[in-house]
Amino acid sequence: MKMAATASSPATKTGSAAGAAGAVPAKAEVPKQSASMAQRWRGASNLIPALLFLGLFFLAPLIGLLLRGVLEPVPGLGNYEQLFANSAYARVLLNTFSVAGLVTLFSLLLGFPLAWAITLVPRGWGRWILNIVLLSMWTSLLARTYSWLVLLQASGVINKALMAMGIIDQPLEMVHNLTGVVIGMSYIMIPFIVLPLQATMQAIDPMILQAGSICGASPWTNFFRVFLPLCRPGLFSGGLMVFVMSLGYYVTPALLGGAQNMMLPEFIIQQVQSFLNWGLASAGAALLIVITLVLFYFYLKLQPESPVGASNAR
Amino acid sequence: MVLNKRATAVLFAGLLATVSHAAIAAESVNFVSWGGSTQDAQKQAWADPFSKASGVTVVQDGPTDYGKLKAMVESGNVQWDVVDVEADFALRAASEGLLEPLDFSVIQRDKIDPRFVSDYGVGSFFFSFVLGYNESKLGASKPQDWSALFDTKTYPGKRALYKWPSPGVLELALLADGVAADKLYPLDLDRAFKKLDTIKKDIVWWGGGAQSQQLLASGEASMGQFWNGRIHALQEDGAPVGVSWKQNLVMADILVVPKGTKNKAAAMKFLANASSAKGQADFSNLTAYAPVNVDSVARLDSVLAPNLPTAYAKDQITLDFAYWAKNGPAIATRWNEWLVK
Repeated sequence: MKMAATASSPATKTGSAAGAAGAVPAKAEVPKQSASMAQRWRGASNLIPALLFLGLFFLAPLIGLLLRGVLEPVPGLGNYEQLFANSAYARVLLNTFSVAGLVTLFSLLLGFPLAWAITLVPRGWGRWILNIVLLSMWTSLLARTYSWLVLLQASGVINKALMAMGIIDQPLEMVHNLTGVVIGMSYIMIPFIVLPLQATMQAIDPMILQAGSICGASPWTNFFRVFLPLCRPGLFSGGLMVFVMSLGYYVTPALLGGAQNMMLPEFIIQQVQSFLNWGLASAGAALLIVITLVLFYFYLKLQPESPVGASNAR
Repeated sequence: MVLNKRATAVLFAGLLATVSHAAIAAESVNFVSWGGSTQDAQKQAWADPFSKASGVTVVQDGPTDYGKLKAMVESGNVQWDVVDVEADFALRAASEGLLEPLDFSVIQRDKIDPRFVSDYGVGSFFFSFVLGYNESKLGASKPQDWSALFDTKTYPGKRALYKWPSPGVLELALLADGVAADKLYPLDLDRAFKKLDTIKKDIVWWGGGAQSQQLLASGEASMGQFWNGRIHALQEDGAPVGVSWKQNLVMADILVVPKGTKNKAAAMKFLANASSAKGQADFSNLTAYAPVNVDSVARLDSVLAPNLPTAYAKDQITLDFAYWAKNGPAIATRWNEWLVK
């Protein structure tokens, strides 16, 4: 809570203070406010190359693509009608978001202890573990996905071992369904949680935790009320990144999932590649973008300190 | 001054690019296919001998991407000259105006099996969907035809089926349900999906050849619908895999030329060579896919020939590419609805 208060933007603070105190102090506040605004936008001109690049090579093509959704095959909202009239597409959309949600949850649960371990072990070891995490990101995505297939399938290593030990009689169905997709994708996403989270944890002063203990906090209290809140920027930025990436994931769900778990990217690819129905595909893409932006808005509401600000602080 | 110099440099570089581009364009063909062993064979059987004989360089590119093809034609910047596509797509693309009409004064049309040639495309090769099964999974009971897929009592295990809404799965469901081969089209979608409902939970879907082989060889699936060349490759590797050719369903790849290609004349010569009796036979001998040229059959390797769809013409059903080209998108909507239901 404390962190949230200090991080909330100075502009709104001065604004509300001025409103409460009446007109005269407000006048006095104006130069101060514009000065702080100027201070905040001081480096804005440095943004121009990046903005130009994004505008030209990302925004313009994106808008072109989205326009197809209302222009092809005939101008109008026909594509959106088709998308909303069919309950199957609602199901596809639901699949997409529930898979992304589950993957985010599991990679947070698994990534958190890993990031913590990297932070706690002696420095040289931590670097090694971090390198191993990074190394897995450099290996071909297809190779990694197929390895999961080898491990998880009915005649795979895990099922054979479990059956040999007599724990199960029938092979567990761990692939070509939701389970397979969530396992495979969580594994791929873990580095994207670990990297920001580990950076956040590294920046936490151990003395703070010590101070907590000295003040009488039990280890549990210390963890939940001191350590976890301090990790929040890393958790939120990692979680958001994984969630958004998962929404657009294609290869892993296509290989490890069953067809009944179709996600939106697969639907879009089908329309783009097999049926050249770019209008409907772009309507689907627009829907995904809009819903993601809405979620992003709520995220910003819930999380006043922006992930960018948090990483700048380090 | 500086600006001037730079401008000259840019102009010069631009000029150089145009000139060198023109030089390459004059005698090269960009050939696009699906990669893997198929494209290797296409290079070996068609491109290399063609380059040697005609002096035209053949640049291999890929994999085939229909979206990319459409984007190239629409933008007028066509980089691909000859593209290997699926038969139903070839017809759909032609009706959307994405293809060049072929020059049949160069390509010998009367030697091509009429199932695999149109004004806008000539066959690359054809293949069959066959019933493949894992012998070590099924033991003594050998499945005979598509109806075995729906008999989970006699033949336990998962069924591997092709996951895209394209010709094949619906047809085999209808055949298994007792529809006569000549009464398949127009497809009775309700009946097909109802039949598929009975095994829906037993289906594992494959999206590509390698995946299908992995499913069958590992026993993850006990049987299913496969490309005949992939089954043959598994048998060559000594996997315990059996095959039934009863009611094998013929599908084809077609070679097309995107509209606006800069190397049209060279592309036509390439197609003439690829669809020739020798080109087709050489390719078949490398892959176990079947030749579209009627004169190629005599040139096939005698050991290999019994494993090609050409040897099972009697019990063969050719999928209706034209029907799919027209109705594909509508069927896909139904298909997706059924899948996620």
